[in-house]
Amino acid sequence: MHIPDGYLGPLTCAVMFLVMVPIWYFALKNTSKRLGPKEVPMIAVLSAVSFLVMMFNWPVPDGTTAHMVGGTLFAIILGPWASVIGITVALVIQAFFFGDGGVTALGANCFNMAFVIPFVGYFIYKALKERIGKVASAGVAAYIAINIAAVVAAIEFGVQPYIAPGYCPYGLNLSIPAMAFAHLTTAGPVAAVVTAVVVGYLERSRPDLLALKETSPNIRGE
Amino acid sequence: MEPWLKRTLVALAVFIVLSPLGILFTWDYGDAWGEWGEVKLPNGKVWTPKSYFNAPLPDYNVEGWEDKLMASIGYWISAVIGVAATMLMSLGVVKTIELWRSEEGK
Repeated sequence: MHIPDGYLGPLTCAVMFLVMVPIWYFALKNTSKRLGPKEVPMIAVLSAVSFLVMMFNWPVPDGTTAHMVGGTLFAIILGPWASVIGITVALVIQAFFFGDGGVTALGANCFNMAFVIPFVGYFIYKALKERIGKVASAGVAAYIAINIAAVVAAIEFGVQPYIAPGYCPYGLNLSIPAMAFAHLTTAGPVAAVVTAVVVGYLERSRPDLLALKETSPNIRGE
Repeated sequence: MEPWLKRTLVALAVFIVLSPLGILFTWDYGDAWGEWGEVKLPNGKVWTPKSYFNAPLPDYNVEGWEDKLMASIGYWISAVIGVAATMLMSLGVVKTIELWRSEEGK
């Protein structure tokens, strides 16, 4: 889901950076008010977890590859605003050290992976956890969140032929089915299983880490 | 160090060791959709995305390390550097916003 340089036209890149500016601002502001002694190292390790799970590429049946992001897991533990910061950091390192995701597409990539995934995942988890339990809702939330993000990325790719010729050559008719297929069949199930397993482990061994809202009242940034 | 932090760091180290699976699983597969270095268009022309930046370890590898063994070592190196850089940078950001908060508190 890391859009490289040269696929998005200048207008899309600029708009996506502009959209991210207030999101980054509120993420820093909200997180700054809500940092307890547990949360500081936790943001750093979850950011590294996110970086690392994105290195595990999985084969998609159509011959491409896909990976999970860890955004829903991050948001379940620390809330969506801290996730914006942690995943943005992972994406910055990926772009500047490893060329994974373009520097001009960084705004778009942060929107898709550091904003859409944690927010969608967090609110689905929150809506479902009383009804179907934490483990199942974590899995469902991770599955839906990465798929919505994939379709958002596909829209960014797919509008280019209409607004910026010379950039991504494929339109929405190809980008949406391809991105949806990769994430419905591969990255989605991986994200669902990993997120559910980790939440299940935490529920048994460290339920306090799933209940930081109760122990540090403002951590979730609502 | 808190036990949960220690355990998480051990888990991270295990996943760094396992990280080459991330390329070995997909060795015979193409790139992720939309992340190609060049695209052969239906009209026969080849489209290459414009590039604006050269990363030091492109595709999580040392340039020229092409076979499975060398690419796995390159992937390991990238995982270690990437995890360390991500943790340092997020700690840096969090420490900066802590300073920001204490400035605002004055």
